[in-house]
Amino acid sequence: MLKRLIFIAVIVLTGQVVSNPYYLQVLTFIGINTLLALGLNMVMGYAGQISLGHAAFYGLGAYTSSLLTIHLNWSPWLALPFTLVFVGLIAFIVALPMLRLSGYYLGMGTLAFGMIVFFIFLQWRSLTGGDSGLIGIPGLTLGPISFEFGAPPFYLVWSAVFLSFVVCERLIDSRIGRALRSLHDSEKASAAMGINTSRLKVQVFVFGGVMAALAGFLYAHLITFISPQTFDFLMSVKIVTMVVIGGMASVWGSLLGAALLTLLPEWLHVFADYEMIIYGLTLVVIMIFLPQGLTRGLLDSYEHFRSRSKNLPKSHES
Amino acid sequence: MSISDPEAKTFQKVMKVEGVSKAFGGIQALAGVSFQIELGHIHAVIGPNGAGKTTLFNIITGAYAPDAGRVVYKEKEIQGRKVHEIVSMGISRTFQNVELFGSLTALENVLVGRHVQTRCGFLAAIARWPWVREEEEAARQKALEILDFVGLKKTEHTKSVDLPFGWQRFLEIARALAAEPQLMLLDEPASGLNAVETQQLGDLLLHIKERGVTILLVEHDMSLTMNISDQILVLHQGMRLAEGSPREIQDNEKVISAYLGKV
Repeated sequence: MLKRLIFIAVIVLTGQVVSNPYYLQVLTFIGINTLLALGLNMVMGYAGQISLGHAAFYGLGAYTSSLLTIHLNWSPWLALPFTLVFVGLIAFIVALPMLRLSGYYLGMGTLAFGMIVFFIFLQWRSLTGGDSGLIGIPGLTLGPISFEFGAPPFYLVWSAVFLSFVVCERLIDSRIGRALRSLHDSEKASAAMGINTSRLKVQVFVFGGVMAALAGFLYAHLITFISPQTFDFLMSVKIVTMVVIGGMASVWGSLLGAALLTLLPEWLHVFADYEMIIYGLTLVVIMIFLPQGLTRGLLDSYEHFRSRSKNLPKSHES
Repeated sequence: MSISDPEAKTFQKVMKVEGVSKAFGGIQALAGVSFQIELGHIHAVIGPNGAGKTTLFNIITGAYAPDAGRVVYKEKEIQGRKVHEIVSMGISRTFQNVELFGSLTALENVLVGRHVQTRCGFLAAIARWPWVREEEEAARQKALEILDFVGLKKTEHTKSVDLPFGWQRFLEIARALAAEPQLMLLDEPASGLNAVETQQLGDLLLHIKERGVTILLVEHDMSLTMNISDQILVLHQGMRLAEGSPREIQDNEKVISAYLGKV
């Protein structure tokens, strides 16, 4: 409970203190990326099912809502539940055959799915606008508040992040969460505990897909312009990297990973031509020294530091 | 743990295996094996390597479907059903090569074992209704009780991968007990245990039996099997070689020759 209050306090405080629109936008993007990483973390970090096509659901969310609002003149708030259900349904249909695969093959399958969706965005020009994307997506308003500039989009996205945190934490700390983690450790034993592993995998895949669709919805209506490149293979890889760098099977890791991968390119602009090299090097160094990701790594070094200062062995060794 | 009515115990068969066969490629792993498990008994299956014990085990737990024959559990045919369905009918198991959930604590492992005894689904977990909290709390109490029963209460918060091997074996039994099974299938639970631990295991299995749980024990350790079993089935080259009480098996010529290699 305290953790949640602190979280809310930090969001509100940040929104009050930061006024530079550029910083606010970067923070908003961190929020959107956190939603993506968190959804994938449930699938990959907790349940152990690799997905290299997560950006597809992000894109499907963005395109579905954009098309409904542009072509059918739906209000975005009406389009939202429809988008979530529709993308959830697609995730379900994809998951049924896909999650019969495992390991590398599941990786290949989801990769192919991501590519197919990307090429649909790119090639179905009459509907998606192809390369040039969709413009004129209506922004979000709520009564007198417009979520176009400044702090409102920041608050909106981070409210969504907060809600997702609560939802994910509740899931993880439950019968279902334990079943997901057991699936990661040993699918064989999981089934022998009476867990319907195929159904559970489909469920968590749909859950992750719906979270990505929410991120897509927010992205589309806050930026009011989308094009296929945002949802390509590299984006899928980026989401996977956020999860791995931040920490598999860690809710806070998703936030850390998303923050780092969003900020790093911004910080590294000063290196101009060398940007990508330093970007890559940074990730490699993190993986070498903190192979469990930032969260675990930081926690471990904290524990190490504490136990050394007290001159006691680590708690789990005693 | 389920405590069945002692009156109902008399001569009731909890499981009937009838003419079960299974071949892998050209190798006949099981050839028409039949036997029955009496309610409340410890029923052991022994036999030299390659006798078909593990195949039999995998057929009963639903991992393989037999080529022929039936497995009847409490009047219902279960051969070919999915593994998780069989568990929810009241049959739980342990593994020959301990298959714990390494990243979960001992308590969490036992809690996963309670999966079939609890109801909370995906949406209920998110909504966290009052009944979900109650169920969770009750499951926790029960899991602690079971950990205590197998003598692992102190390890509650230890990750199972960090436990000594012998304790892992006991934790696996606790996890299987958490499903409140009527029939427990144990795949070589004594392998890798030292003499003291094997003794403790024997005591634990007798305690479990006292609570009314029927046990099917596949085992290599002869002293353990002979000490605690009510009935022993000997498999040899996929066929039933002999069946009877430990005394009868010890005196059986065919068993002696199969084990000692005489003709």
